[in-house]
Amino acid sequence: MNKPSGPDWNALLVKVGSHQDKAAFGALFSHFGPLLKGFLLKGGGVEPEQAEELVQETMIKVWRKAPSYAPTQAAASTWMYTIARNTRIDWLRKHAKKNHQTDELVAEDLFDENEESSPFTALIQTRNASNIREHLNSLPQEQLQVLTLMYFQGKSGQEVADELAIPLGTVKSRVRLALQKLKLKITPDGEEQVVYAS
Amino acid sequence: MINNHPNTQLLADYATGGLSMAPLISIATHLQFCDQCREAVSGLNILGGELLSECDQAELSDDLLAQTLAMLDAPEPEGTVAEAAVSAPRSNLCPDLANQLPKYLHKFLNHQELDWRSLSSTLSVAAISVGETDYELALHRIDAGGKAPVHDHKGTELTVVLKGSFSDEDGIYREGDFLMREPGDVHRPSATQDQACICLSVLSAPIKLTGIKQVLNPFMRFNPS
Repeated sequence: MNKPSGPDWNALLVKVGSHQDKAAFGALFSHFGPLLKGFLLKGGGVEPEQAEELVQETMIKVWRKAPSYAPTQAAASTWMYTIARNTRIDWLRKHAKKNHQTDELVAEDLFDENEESSPFTALIQTRNASNIREHLNSLPQEQLQVLTLMYFQGKSGQEVADELAIPLGTVKSRVRLALQKLKLKITPDGEEQVVYAS
Repeated sequence: MINNHPNTQLLADYATGGLSMAPLISIATHLQFCDQCREAVSGLNILGGELLSECDQAELSDDLLAQTLAMLDAPEPEGTVAEAAVSAPRSNLCPDLANQLPKYLHKFLNHQELDWRSLSSTLSVAAISVGETDYELALHRIDAGGKAPVHDHKGTELTVVLKGSFSDEDGIYREGDFLMREPGDVHRPSATQDQACICLSVLSAPIKLTGIKQVLNPFMRFNPS
């Protein structure tokens, strides 16, 4: 995947996977660590020390899972995002009082980051990435706000609606409009069966 | 060909980590059947990666990298993904059905037998506990040609067809199809004549039967935990 400038994070990640290259890991850590911490703090609900704990946990998983990383399937940033998200899900569940099955549950079992993808799919993903980069900064504030709450705080559409005191239908349409602007193709027929809760 | 998919919001909630475990499992199960939705989720993950890249950096403690490097050579904790994939579930699920469930469910099913309870002459249910109280996760089986009772929904019901097919007033649903029923929807699913239909279902609140005393509602109170 073409990067505008700076180090090739994908290549560094491959080095970590193929050669257990600690220098490459250090470079990735110095770049993505502060981003991950910023990402987690922006989400709220975690203290700075906990955010660092999560950064560390995420980066250790990155080290262990790097051999399965394939740059043709995902950019380093996408891959990092999925690992950070899964780490946060597990962490939140571990700290939720009502959860009694912490030992059995690992979020990554429910997310297949390493799905085989065809060259065609890889092409679509490259195009997706450049579309997103091109249009992300021109999203209307209200759409960006909803995406921010969802991605940074891991809030569901319903939780975002509750927090902003707007109807769920409004959240859904902002998400749909934002994804349209970013030219992300979601299911063609999925929308037809949307029935809004009363 | 899969005709019924989760809506955009559910896929986005999945990709951003906003779903509770039971609905998360239903989406993960649908994704095992559906290339289209997997692709959509990849796109949503790319968006996550871009938001991460554009995020304001927060300075890390000076020694965090050194600490982390020191931890890299520690042995990997036991019980990670790989072993779940090799050991087949020993529950009374047919193997090809087991393959259609997400890995976590395999893991879970290794720990306990599925307890199929008969709710009517043609309908059975096996509850699955994922340690959540606000959702009920279960497998439902309608025998070939059998009908489920007419029921409506107090909460949202998410259904993924794992095997066979069923139909209701609105259409026919085949393997991999994903359905969402909202409060107020009334339907009466029935399996096709040739084979039993097995579905994974998630209820956000117990559903009620229409026209029958609620006490008789077979869907209620299967006490997953």
